[in-house]
Amino acid sequence: MSDYLDPTDSVAVPRKTARRPMSLDGKVVTLLDISKAKGNHLLDRIEELLRERTKAKAIVRKKKPTFARPAPDGLRQEIVGATDVLVEALAD
Amino acid sequence: MSVPDVDADAIEELYARGVTDGLPVVPPTRARVDRAIAASGRPGDELVALVPPNYGRATVEKIAINAVMAGCRPEYLPVVIAAIDAACDEAFDLHGVSATTNAPSPLVIVNGPIRAQLEINSGAGVFGPGWRANATIGRAVRLICVNLGGARPGVVSMSTLAHPGRYTYCIGEHEEASPWDSLAVEHGFAPDQSVVAVLAADAPLGVYAHNSRTPEHLLPTLAASMAVVSHHRMTHWGDTLLVLSPEHAKVFGDAGWKKADVRRWLHERLRWPVCALRPGLDGGEGLPEHVLAKFGDPSSDTTLIPKFRTPDNIKLLVAGGLAGRFSAIVPGWTFSKGSSLVFRPIHAPVHSR
Repeated sequence: MSDYLDPTDSVAVPRKTARRPMSLDGKVVTLLDISKAKGNHLLDRIEELLRERTKAKAIVRKKKPTFARPAPDGLRQEIVGATDVLVEALAD
Repeated sequence: MSVPDVDADAIEELYARGVTDGLPVVPPTRARVDRAIAASGRPGDELVALVPPNYGRATVEKIAINAVMAGCRPEYLPVVIAAIDAACDEAFDLHGVSATTNAPSPLVIVNGPIRAQLEINSGAGVFGPGWRANATIGRAVRLICVNLGGARPGVVSMSTLAHPGRYTYCIGEHEEASPWDSLAVEHGFAPDQSVVAVLAADAPLGVYAHNSRTPEHLLPTLAASMAVVSHHRMTHWGDTLLVLSPEHAKVFGDAGWKKADVRRWLHERLRWPVCALRPGLDGGEGLPEHVLAKFGDPSSDTTLIPKFRTPDNIKLLVAGGLAGRFSAIVPGWTFSKGSSLVFRPIHAPVHSR
């Protein structure tokens, strides 16, 4: 490698996606609506299918105040502390 | 004579590292970066901001490396630093700006004496090429969004179309050709202060109006173009820029109109009754469900809903060449809790050039 300086932040930690569970049985599943138009329609259908096809312990619905910004800390903490699986809906 | 093409190799190496915007960059050598840091008047390890969405650390040195790559002269550093500080303000919502499927890019607007000192163009061809300061300051901001913020197209930055301002987007205000206080002075800064503002901006939409000689004739044309910002039935929009050419600004100045008069006129004109804003009428979009729910019978309700939340969301500045009756609308990216125009003073040490 040459002497050129690094324009990126090498301190930043690369992010990894969470491990996917083999089954949803007995899990708490959170469905997060990001407030995009029709996101609720998509999540309604996903909830219906999850109830039909899985034995999830609970299915919880949450909503971001706006799609334009990250979820507020409080909401993130609520989800992190109380869910096994998160599904985030984009829709439009 | 045959000599090794060191610069070409460096350019290819930087492409291979994935740190360019698709155009060749100036290789950031220690010497070049040190000159830029020195010109900022700040220590290299000073943290200016964390750049969303990946929150990379924008130290003075990291900003300088990207500015060198963009082709900035060392003395441009204070402007780039102020612009990054502004863009990383929570009110700007760079997270959303960088990640959205929409198209915004930070537009850097410069006011004050530094425009002349750095030869930042505010006149003819203000949004176009030909001026090193405009071209490279805007480009530095873009490289920082990507290299420190992580806004890689197609990876984190998911814009469906984007726009050419994502290569570079920087203008000066043509204060000398304006009948009014500058954008910065209007927002509380002194006329002798150098200031940047950043707007999460779409591409400029040109407005042609050659035959209007009075405010009352010019404003309906401007309003018609502003009405279609984002979508012709999008309402409650936030900060959007109206860039008046000097000739158009003079129409208002000669008639004794203040900026506030222009804003008020446009705000009042750009309102439509609820019944005309229902989704599905002449197109899919319309008032969102939670807004429609406030009205008993939206199909007959005539309550007026404004295009812009308040008159103050219509930001005015004067820019461009002295000849030509063309203005431009620069739409902001301003959903209800989205991005706002953010200002920062430029802290520039005195330079000898």
